[in-house]
Amino acid sequence: MTNTPPVLEIDKLSISFLTRLRQIDAVMDFSVTVNPGEAVGLVGESGCGKSTVALGVMRDLGGNGKIIGGSIKFKGREMADMNDDELRQVRGRDIAMIYQEPMASLNPAMTIGAQLMEVPQYHEQISAAEARARALEVVRDVKLPDPERVLNAYPHQLSGGQQQRIVIAMALMAKPSLLILDEPTTALDVTVEAAVIKLVKELGQKYGTSMLFISHNLGLVMETCDRICVMYSGEAVERGPIKDVFENMHHPYTQALFRAIPVPGADKNVQPLIAIPGNFPLPHQRPNGCNFGPRCNYFEAGTCDANPIEMATLPDNPRHQTRCNRFADIDWNAPVEAKVAPAVAVSDKVTLRVEGLRKYYDVAANALFGGRSTKVVKANETLSFDAHAGETLAIVGESGCGKSTLAKVLMGLETATEGNVSLNGKALANVPIQDRDATTVGGVQMVFQNPFDTLNPSMTVGRQIMRALEIFGIGDNEVARRERMFELLDLVKLPRAFSDRSPRQLSGGQKQRVGIARAFAGNAKLVVADEPVSALDVSVQAAVTELLMDIQRKNKTTLLFISHDLSIVRYLSDRILVMYLGHVVEMGTTEQVFQPPYHPYTEALLAAAPIADTRVDKREVVLEGDIPSAMNPPSGCPFQTRCKWKPKVEGALCEREVPPIQILADGHQIKCHLDADTLNDMAPVFSIAAE
Amino acid sequence: MENLAGLDHLLKITIRFWPVWVAMAIVMIPSFSTRRNTGLYGQIFESRIGVIGFSLVSFWVFTAIFADVIMTHDPYATWGGLKNALPGSALRAPAEGIYPHALLGGDNLARDVFSRVVEGSRIVLTISPIATLFAFMVGITLGLPAGYFGGRMDTALTFISNLIIAFPVILLFYLLVTPEIRSGGPAFSFGGDHVWRASVPNLLAALIFIFPTIFFCTLWQSRFYVRPKLRNILIAVTLVIGIWGYLGTAFDYDPTGLLLIEPGLKNIFAIVAIVGAPAKFRIVRGLTLDIKTRDYVAAAQTRGERPWYIMLWEILPNARGPLIVDFCLRIGYTAILLGALGFFGLGLTPESADWGSTINEARRLLALYSHPALYPALALMTLVLGLNLLGDSLREASQKD
Repeated sequence: MTNTPPVLEIDKLSISFLTRLRQIDAVMDFSVTVNPGEAVGLVGESGCGKSTVALGVMRDLGGNGKIIGGSIKFKGREMADMNDDELRQVRGRDIAMIYQEPMASLNPAMTIGAQLMEVPQYHEQISAAEARARALEVVRDVKLPDPERVLNAYPHQLSGGQQQRIVIAMALMAKPSLLILDEPTTALDVTVEAAVIKLVKELGQKYGTSMLFISHNLGLVMETCDRICVMYSGEAVERGPIKDVFENMHHPYTQALFRAIPVPGADKNVQPLIAIPGNFPLPHQRPNGCNFGPRCNYFEAGTCDANPIEMATLPDNPRHQTRCNRFADIDWNAPVEAKVAPAVAVSDKVTLRVEGLRKYYDVAANALFGGRSTKVVKANETLSFDAHAGETLAIVGESGCGKSTLAKVLMGLETATEGNVSLNGKALANVPIQDRDATTVGGVQMVFQNPFDTLNPSMTVGRQIMRALEIFGIGDNEVARRERMFELLDLVKLPRAFSDRSPRQLSGGQKQRVGIARAFAGNAKLVVADEPVSALDVSVQAAVTELLMDIQRKNKTTLLFISHDLSIVRYLSDRILVMYLGHVVEMGTTEQVFQPPYHPYTEALLAAAPIADTRVDKREVVLEGDIPSAMNPPSGCPFQTRCKWKPKVEGALCEREVPPIQILADGHQIKCHLDADTLNDMAPVFSIAAE
Repeated sequence: MENLAGLDHLLKITIRFWPVWVAMAIVMIPSFSTRRNTGLYGQIFESRIGVIGFSLVSFWVFTAIFADVIMTHDPYATWGGLKNALPGSALRAPAEGIYPHALLGGDNLARDVFSRVVEGSRIVLTISPIATLFAFMVGITLGLPAGYFGGRMDTALTFISNLIIAFPVILLFYLLVTPEIRSGGPAFSFGGDHVWRASVPNLLAALIFIFPTIFFCTLWQSRFYVRPKLRNILIAVTLVIGIWGYLGTAFDYDPTGLLLIEPGLKNIFAIVAIVGAPAKFRIVRGLTLDIKTRDYVAAAQTRGERPWYIMLWEILPNARGPLIVDFCLRIGYTAILLGALGFFGLGLTPESADWGSTINEARRLLALYSHPALYPALALMTLVLGLNLLGDSLREASQKD
């Protein structure tokens, strides 16, 4: 291995973008080496420059991007010396790239087969028949069912997971030596993500392809990569083999990153979340010296803010480097100061009661002429649960499981087909929002997922909060409402001066705080939070989560926390409701759901969550196939098409009957045909290795 | 008095436009130096196209504003020695205090072409934006609910707008000129010697002129129904102005006589609105379909906002970018349409100085004397070009970030 040159060698690379205002240094002094057959992970928050590195390697920086220093060597050849023709040859044949959005990478007007065949026909001038044969082989390699049919299909006829497999297949068509994956699974559901990641790992071994894996998810990188490079604000801050960096980190940012993410193997008392203070610096507002300085716990004036920091190699490990002047002085094993959160006082009072809730949609095949072939989409199937005051109830499930429909019914944007919903004894299920009184509307509010979309860009922050107050009938006049608006800003820990700002002047985390302030404006009794932090960066996720919990504790609000991220769910919820295709398949307290017995789907969901902790051992359960469409659900048990446990049930019962609800323990219920003994014999998904 | 020799008349014209130059300098220099801090407006000054477009448009806007200072003569009067006179000709025996030269010559009726071009800018730049605004009002008021509610209402409104688009515009023009149609219909009187005929153009005007009042009343009601005191004041003011204007413009019934408009103008507004509204309707409907999926619209719904609040205060302000761009382009088309309508005798009164009518009138002697038609044509061309360039640069800038 020492004789072959590295596949990719980036040395002191600097990339800048020239805009009309100023020059923006996106990447500075960045070095990384990828050896043959090796997978290197590039980790950092949005805006840290990791995607820019990838584009720089591809020499695809657009009109105003410029490489202003350093070198990129591909297989020992300097890429800056290549002309356009040579670069075209290298791209696609030697280096292939996989992007985040599979649909955007595929041409919707061409069949999958034609798109795959194009690659070798262009790069290797082989015949159409040969190219088709290879396409078939690659499609088989990415484990798509019925490859012949897939080749003749158009992209829109495949699901998101299948599309991403095709994109991977396309990248592999030219047998590249280097594969760059830019957040390849961010747009996919967790169980689908787990399957795609497993595939990428296997293919990497089979084809011997080197990989540069770009992600913000430390868990994913741990599962796929051999080495890791952590980036912060345009610089590599720590670099080394996965195990060394994860177990023996030597940069404060890496440490802070790990402390900010919840680990599903451990609960909140073992490892509380610690938010990184402050905000990510904008490229033109970087401090002197260490970029992480202002947010760092170990900051020391004079040492950290004087000169640019150089990358230093650890004395005891030549393969592990860090960009910190004080790494030798810091006690990296010092225990975390556990800020034990006051236990949430869950009262016995039931705030929300849902009984036998059903929501069906009629979907006519053709709105204009149809009529006979009406289909029914069963978005929610007999949901029943209670939520108490001050309780956090998590609803977990992948896209299409019906959690958004449930939220809509609670909010009154849709009315239930059947069943009852009551809030503090007041019926809600069939009262659309326009018939609800102001107190009820203010009492049931929502926090939305996308912070960049949750505020009206044309209205100041203060106006938007005051509008909510006006609607909920709070405050008698402008002055009173203004005062209340300031209090709400205080509540979400934003400066009062923000009331005059327009949303585009706020960062993602700040916008989400305004969203929370708005949701609590009407003294909400029930707040539905739809993945409130999933679009935020790791370092602000923790802060927003803590804030949400703080306010909830103070107001004794019931929080319905919709999420697919099991780590965060384990961290903050009291009870969990697992949904699949409109059914509640499992419900119980957090401990009950995270421990066996599991519903087979819960088991797969837990196993799919990537964990950024080398101490946690995880059993592998990978689901095959995709989530069935809600338009055309399978017969019997909704999960039977992907279930590994199906053979244990006799007489193909799973395919015929919807399973009954089994009560296993107090408040723990599972919707499955498996008998209680089989369920009790399940092995736990996580085990923490003894230290 | 001697005729002006060579290019002297151009020099004199340049001097004559001095208020425009001063005003342009006052506006453009600070705009240019603060362009980095003024958002979309500042982006205009980043591109050469934007600067050219902005200069051309602001030139004509300031010409319209300072028309009284710039004009050398009364644009509607005839002057001795100016019949078909060439640019730079001297007036025959001008009285004391009368400008001695016709800088751009005279027309067939011995009127001063220069003054008529300047006066024309005032007419064009008043009528085109207002007429375009009516088209937008109609398009927005119908496009928002079509996009937001969808379903049957959307199908019906889209169908009607397709019908109007499919209807030959020229036929519509002819229909409106036909005397039977113009003066047909039952007559109504609301007192005094006032008579209003329910003819097709009058009915169309009556339909279109009600939109601004409806639009603003809905705007206030949807937002301020939670603050009744403020709402009542705003709606009362809107209704007083709206009904007064509506009676005056649509029904020729205004005791004060301030808001009466001539029949030709009514035709213009009716036609511009009918021709323009379907296109605006489509743009607004498309934007609404896009914006209504945003979370802030969902947030408004979950706090129980009424549909019209969401449409007018959550969706419309965020659709403003494409609408402003389209508005710029549409003013240009309307200016051309004014000229085209002049050809059908549908425009303003024949002696009007607007550019379309002037070109139409001068075309009869075009082979002999081209200048009476040439200068208004140049003016129209530069204005439309400027608006197009401005619209283009705004579109580019709004897509950049």
